Amino acid sequence: MSSFDVGGSQLDTSWFLLLAAVLFILGAVGVLVRRNPLVILICIELMLNAANLTLVAFSRQLGNLDGQLFALMSMTVAAAEAVVGLAILVDIFRHRDAEDIDDLSELRG
Amino acid sequence: MAVAGGVGVITFRQPIRNVLSLVVVMLALSVLFLLLSAQFVFVVQVIVYAGAVMVLFLFVIALLGPARELAAGRLRFQTWLSILFVLALFGLFWAMLQGVTYRQPEQVDLNSFGSVESIAVGLFTTYLYPFELTSIMLLVAAIGAIYLSRRSDEDQ
Repeated sequence: MSSFDVGGSQLDTSWFLLLAAVLFILGAVGVLVRRNPLVILICIELMLNAANLTLVAFSRQLGNLDGQLFALMSMTVAAAEAVVGLAILVDIFRHRDAEDIDDLSELRG
Repeated sequence: MAVAGGVGVITFRQPIRNVLSLVVVMLALSVLFLLLSAQFVFVVQVIVYAGAVMVLFLFVIALLGPARELAAGRLRFQTWLSILFVLALFGLFWAMLQGVTYRQPEQVDLNSFGSVESIAVGLFTTYLYPFELTSIMLLVAAIGAIYLSRRSDEDQ
């Protein structure tokens, strides 16, 4: 019903969406469970990639190029986010050795 | 393959293995982009993500040295609570996917769909304004990163 021809074989859009959901869930688990700030940044990248896969899959499904353009935009956003996040991390690590993100909770309101 | 890489991202203890698993995920996803006839997104994924961003992560790991991760967090029930939350989230996604009815895919010309030329036409006509804003955002990010990572004089 919702399949389309990909390289001679029929592929279903649902599989791409399901894979994107699984990857997003894995990234969310990583953000919630892991304690290393660097690994948390990596997991955020994973979630952004899952969102990109959804955009491109729907773009192909609807025959509309806007999804791919949005995927490109979100890639640049992810790159900028990674750069700034890593710079903040390096700055934090330079001042003290913080291997656990719970150690960085001294900001009190 | 992508799921295996994703599991590797969150399970390995050493950050360098997390990064290498993420490279596996990126490459698998880029092949999927190619299957979805998104050639330009495929190229950008390989070059920007698997190339540039991952090298950046590797440099930071090399700069900071191997970090050991303590197993126990400060919050006692964090692991179980987060697993519960994530299962609920996955159930939500699953329910959404069950209810989806797709429109019949339109017959598009696969020779031009997703090619560099069609991407460029969309990017420089309809989305010219967001495109320029993206360039400003990248400039701001670069300046911010340089400012954050510069060694200030009073630290010496």
